[in-house]
Amino acid sequence: MFTMREIDKRYDAVIACQDASLQVEPGEIRALLGSNGSGKSTMVKILAGLVKPNGGEILIDDAPVTINSGRDSRRLGIATAFQDLSLIPTMTVLDNILLGNEPKGKLGMVDRKISLSSVVALLERFHIDCDPDAYVQTLMPSTQSLIEVAKAVFMKPRLLLLDEVTAALHRDEVQLIFSVLRELKAQGTAIIYVTHRMNEIFEICDTSTIMRSGRTVAHVNTDELDLDEIVFYMTGQRPDTEEILETESCDHEGRELILDVEHMALYPKVHDISLKAYKGEIVGIGGLEGQGQPEFIRALLGVNRPEEGTIAYMGEEAHFHSPADAVHHDMGFISGERNREAMFPERSVGENVFAGSAAKGSLFKYLTAKVVRDFAQAAVDKYDIVVGSLAHPASSLSGGNQQKLVVARWIAMDPDLLLLDDPTKGVDVHSRREIHRILRQCADEGMTIILSSSENEELLEIADRVYLFYEGRVSGMLSGAAKTPERLVAAMMGMARNLNGATREVERA
Amino acid sequence: MSDVKQMFLRFRRTPAFVGFTLFAFVLVLNIVVQGPAQFFSTRSLNTLFSKNMPLLLTTMAMAPLLISGTLDISIGIQLALVNVVSIMVFQEWGVPLYIGFLMGMLASLVVSALCWGLVSVLRLPSMLASFSLIYIVRGVNVLIMDKPQGKVPAEFYKTYDSLIGGVIPFSALFLVLVLVVWLYLIRTKFGRNIYAVGGSPRNAFAAGINPVWVQFQASMVKGVITGLAGISLTLMTASGNPLQGEAYGLRGLSACIIGGLGFGGWGSMACAVFGAGFLVIIQNTVYYFFNLLYRLIPGFTVTSYWQNLVSDIIIFFGLLMTIVTAREQREALRQGFVKQFKGGEQGAR
Repeated sequence: MFTMREIDKRYDAVIACQDASLQVEPGEIRALLGSNGSGKSTMVKILAGLVKPNGGEILIDDAPVTINSGRDSRRLGIATAFQDLSLIPTMTVLDNILLGNEPKGKLGMVDRKISLSSVVALLERFHIDCDPDAYVQTLMPSTQSLIEVAKAVFMKPRLLLLDEVTAALHRDEVQLIFSVLRELKAQGTAIIYVTHRMNEIFEICDTSTIMRSGRTVAHVNTDELDLDEIVFYMTGQRPDTEEILETESCDHEGRELILDVEHMALYPKVHDISLKAYKGEIVGIGGLEGQGQPEFIRALLGVNRPEEGTIAYMGEEAHFHSPADAVHHDMGFISGERNREAMFPERSVGENVFAGSAAKGSLFKYLTAKVVRDFAQAAVDKYDIVVGSLAHPASSLSGGNQQKLVVARWIAMDPDLLLLDDPTKGVDVHSRREIHRILRQCADEGMTIILSSSENEELLEIADRVYLFYEGRVSGMLSGAAKTPERLVAAMMGMARNLNGATREVERA
Repeated sequence: MSDVKQMFLRFRRTPAFVGFTLFAFVLVLNIVVQGPAQFFSTRSLNTLFSKNMPLLLTTMAMAPLLISGTLDISIGIQLALVNVVSIMVFQEWGVPLYIGFLMGMLASLVVSALCWGLVSVLRLPSMLASFSLIYIVRGVNVLIMDKPQGKVPAEFYKTYDSLIGGVIPFSALFLVLVLVVWLYLIRTKFGRNIYAVGGSPRNAFAAGINPVWVQFQASMVKGVITGLAGISLTLMTASGNPLQGEAYGLRGLSACIIGGLGFGGWGSMACAVFGAGFLVIIQNTVYYFFNLLYRLIPGFTVTSYWQNLVSDIIIFFGLLMTIVTAREQREALRQGFVKQFKGGEQGAR
């Protein structure tokens, strides 16, 4: 029996797990469920030896153990298949599967014959059609996912951890994995299964552990629960699937249609997204993590070109070649990934505010320090942004103020359409409120804002209408009175009510 | 499909293919320019091996480091360290020279462990750390031996320059020794682990491998090969010089890249051999090419810098070719172009 008790994990101020627990017995398949940032991935990483908990204990058969590394984890009979894969792309399929478990032959050399026969047998068991000597980086993403699972199963673990491994897989491939899981279960392997697909839980899992905000809120038998209750435990909201897809009718008369996206697809993440945004409106995009939101936003900006569908911007079909092209057409973009996509930490606050404007002007236009300073000062004054001295380096600001700075940069350019990708991630409450105030002020002045957020409260608070993404599709659009937490949660989980009143998942490709 | 064709296709996919093609190309060129009879004479082959063994071994020492995802550009000056330690131990302590070589090897292992400590344990950028090591090792060299001096007993350097059975250059034994040991190592767990650590340290860690320890093992292998390179340099020059050999470091690194080794988890020892072979043969070829010009065009004289210019230009094209032909990089280049012209990641697939 594997038990985790009173697990605590903190990253600086962010709490990933708090007093979390988990228990799984041999021959049991347990679902580990939770919404965004609930700590389920952290629990998996702790068992895999990639993350060390700040507190709590792990027991195997009632004996406490410590897991400090991947080696410890393996030695205790734990094998993990990760969502973002743990394969080495530059090694062959054979070497990847055997890594750490190479059969020993003469003189301590790896026995190639035994290696090959056991790997070929494993590939056949999973119906994977590939050359064992092919480099993993040359294989399709779905094949790589299957190999990731096969690799974990190959270790003959006592505890098998599967972290959203089916996300990239086709229905048939999922069934294949399920049949292997049933075999393992019959052999007495304990299995922890993390997923966001609700139908899979009812199909394969005996029991469920549900986490919310880093805490374990329920240990239940799956057949004693219905979907509504699971979602209630996950989100604290009872899902209301009533008429979610029929709230499109909304009062937009007399408003200019700024953005009209029809059936956009950008595989593998975005399958079919249609979205409209009107002038002076704040449109929210919500959903679980990894349902295609960042890809969609970046496609609007011209980072990637969609494979299917059309984007009409200000009434004309748009084909932006690059973000610079989009910015030239009065679009703005604010990323939640401050350090990677937005900040110039060594440069001054003033220069950071001016950066967006600099991108717009011609390349050899003469600039003086005064132009930069005045521009930044005007922006800071207009929206009442407290950022300290304009001459200080941007890295001297707190995270919340840095994000306000990035917001200031773009609104100072007065774009017609402003895209925000989870802009308040890791931002303190006060700065978040400030950013919301600034965004609302901009919208009232006629700016159109599209804001993606991983937090439902933020979407309910600031967005006029909310689109929910599920597996690369729009699973619901909420506005006006329909914009309730209950409906939002139902759409986020991919639940929609069909004519018979039975809940089902949104059709998967 | 015939077996030969299958084998060729398999070889084409290996990282060593580009290096091999370049090497084979210049080898043929060299044979043509120099004349087959001249090139295949035992004397000419012996010179080729004995004069270029330090570079070849330096390049081969770099390979395990690159595969395991680290780097040491101070290998060049480490050859001089092995050289001065060997000579000074022999000269000052009055012990046999092979004891001196042993001490030189030990010094090389100590510096390798130091570099590992800086890069893998303290996580300093490998380029920076090993660059600073160049100056540290050079200082140590001068402390040990303040000016070029010392002599290697004649029986040692004569053996080095001799032919075994009148056919095989003695210096080639170094190459054979390293290759045999390496072929064994690559078939053990160590051989898998260095690729895993170089390819993705995080995933290797998740698979139960200790990346820091694996890089230490790779550093020790590098230390031994560097020691052998230093010994061959000592036998070749037959004296001690604390400031020689520095250029071998960067030349060895570029030879690895030309041969098809990537920074972390990509490439093989064959890449290093072919890459170094390419550098060596291209210089040989250009030398004989200019000799040919002197003979064919009466009154034609240029400084030897012209030879360097020509061979460096060819090396530059060789490097360019590795980018165009290396699967990964070619793909990146192609995607870059497609992205520019078609405006989408997807079109590039």
